[in-house]
Amino acid sequence: MKPVKIAMMSLTHGHTRKYYQTLRENSKLDWVASCAEDQAAKDVYDLYDNGVPCYLSAEEMFEKHPDIEAVVLASANEKHLAQVLDCAKRGVHILSMKIPTFDPAEYDKMIEAVDKAGIVCQIELEMHYNPVVKRLQKLIADGEIGKILSVQATNITLSPVWAFPWQGVPEASYGKRVPLKEGDPRFRGGALCDHPHIFDLIRWLTGSDFDFVYSAVAPNLRPDIPVEDMLLVNGKMKDGTAFLFDPSWSRMEERLKVPAPGWEVFPKRMEVNVTVTGEKGSIVCDCFGPNVYHNGAPNDRYTVQYTYFDEWVGLIDEFVDCIRNHKEPKINLRWHRRTIDCMNACYSSIASGMPARV
Amino acid sequence: MNLVEMNKALQWLRDKYAVKADGTLVASAPDSIGADAALKLENGTTATLLPWRPERRFVELKKLIDGKTLEDVSTLRFASMSAEQSLEKLLYRELDLCEYLGESPIVSAFAVTGGKTANVIVKLADGKSCSVECSAALPPGTAEMDRHEIIARRGIACDRVVDTQVPQSSIYQFTANGEKRYTDIDTELFGFSNAEILLIRAAFEVLRQPELADAWNKAGARLVRLTEETLASEKNGTPARFAEEK
Repeated sequence: MKPVKIAMMSLTHGHTRKYYQTLRENSKLDWVASCAEDQAAKDVYDLYDNGVPCYLSAEEMFEKHPDIEAVVLASANEKHLAQVLDCAKRGVHILSMKIPTFDPAEYDKMIEAVDKAGIVCQIELEMHYNPVVKRLQKLIADGEIGKILSVQATNITLSPVWAFPWQGVPEASYGKRVPLKEGDPRFRGGALCDHPHIFDLIRWLTGSDFDFVYSAVAPNLRPDIPVEDMLLVNGKMKDGTAFLFDPSWSRMEERLKVPAPGWEVFPKRMEVNVTVTGEKGSIVCDCFGPNVYHNGAPNDRYTVQYTYFDEWVGLIDEFVDCIRNHKEPKINLRWHRRTIDCMNACYSSIASGMPARV
Repeated sequence: MNLVEMNKALQWLRDKYAVKADGTLVASAPDSIGADAALKLENGTTATLLPWRPERRFVELKKLIDGKTLEDVSTLRFASMSAEQSLEKLLYRELDLCEYLGESPIVSAFAVTGGKTANVIVKLADGKSCSVECSAALPPGTAEMDRHEIIARRGIACDRVVDTQVPQSSIYQFTANGEKRYTDIDTELFGFSNAEILLIRAAFEVLRQPELADAWNKAGARLVRLTEETLASEKNGTPARFAEEK
């Protein structure tokens, strides 16, 4: 199979660096170029010494590398629409970060452009390629615990806003400045926007769609950011499955400009734990554990050293397979739209103080 | 151990990562105290596999040492208990991990044995101490348990989380049929047992870095001697002593 000539764009997303190893090592890819959003993003990129040229404009990158077939859009959410439209115009396949947009009208434009261009547009929801999630999906599909009655899930992390400031800017993260609720000085665009995974996962586990959600925000752990960092969500799927999610930034962090050892204050900086109760039994699941643990440099704090990082490998494998074999990605724009609808409904519920239909 | 499927997976990895060297996993001799499989190479030679070395928890523990997250390692505290593996097999692996994570060759070892158990104190050439608790006496059907703790002047690292005595799992399933546990460690090789995965990964590492074959063959031969002499040390009334390999 001819390797896919691939590029990375913007380099301002928190997941940017996680692709580097996969792009270098996978023989089905030929990583030919990158372009950074600005000099600061380029400076960080240069620290990793990838040996791949990096430009400061997408135009220049495409001009110098007309053979680029696909891109990873590692950009702030507000940039996605313009980048998707540009790539579609060029006939370049797209791997988008986890939130293409929160705006339904923008979503329509993206779908139309991608359909018209006949390109692949895959959304990065990397949990699907995690071996523990694969096992969880298999156990449930095999009927080990019977029909699902209830799901509880955490998707809790530290806040990336100090290293990736756009994630704390309502316009860049949510797409516009919308107050969380009357009398609340905060705006949409925080922790919820960072954590779509569990909203997606429950759809796969149940095979059902969302009915309604109820959501509440708590006082921020970081009072100096203008977006929510603590929230809870519960609700029901159309098949009757009840759920409770915690998609907060509830793990504190050192305010580093570049992610590095010692970033976390709480030992485990990222957790996705899922409990599924069925008619015949229950499953409790830690998607990122067990690991190894230490209290060494730089801060001598007890810290989880992760041993799970298959997600990026499987994600890219699917992307290449879709490009070369003309397949539809599992997480495509149309599928993912319902997940975004639910997240928007969470914000509506926060604003109204009432459950919201999805 | 399904060698046919394991070899298919090995070929799939070669193809995916464009690794030119070729080889085939073959079962080890029944009396081997090393890994359950070895890698037969294209040139007809066989490479010993040390499948725990590419295991992610040990890779990460080693990173913590190499990256100076831990500074000035003093002592390693290892334990390994099994219902299925022989005492020799358990000790072979743990002695290799002493040298691999301790980053210094073993110069002496004194084992006190009792039935299918051995309690060993190991010294490395650079002065580090290691304790190795081995038991092949778990009741049949009991899952393997182990622990690898590295104690340094700055920091302690361990593959077991604080306040626990037994390994944790990723998934716990509770039904009328009792409790089942799962710990899946590799998406690319999903469906294989973890023991099979580690053998495939070790074989792939040898194909990817052909110089490993010679190094692992030497290490394997040495480990057989270390294990035998260590287990004989109590009877001999003196620690087994080993010259540093050149």
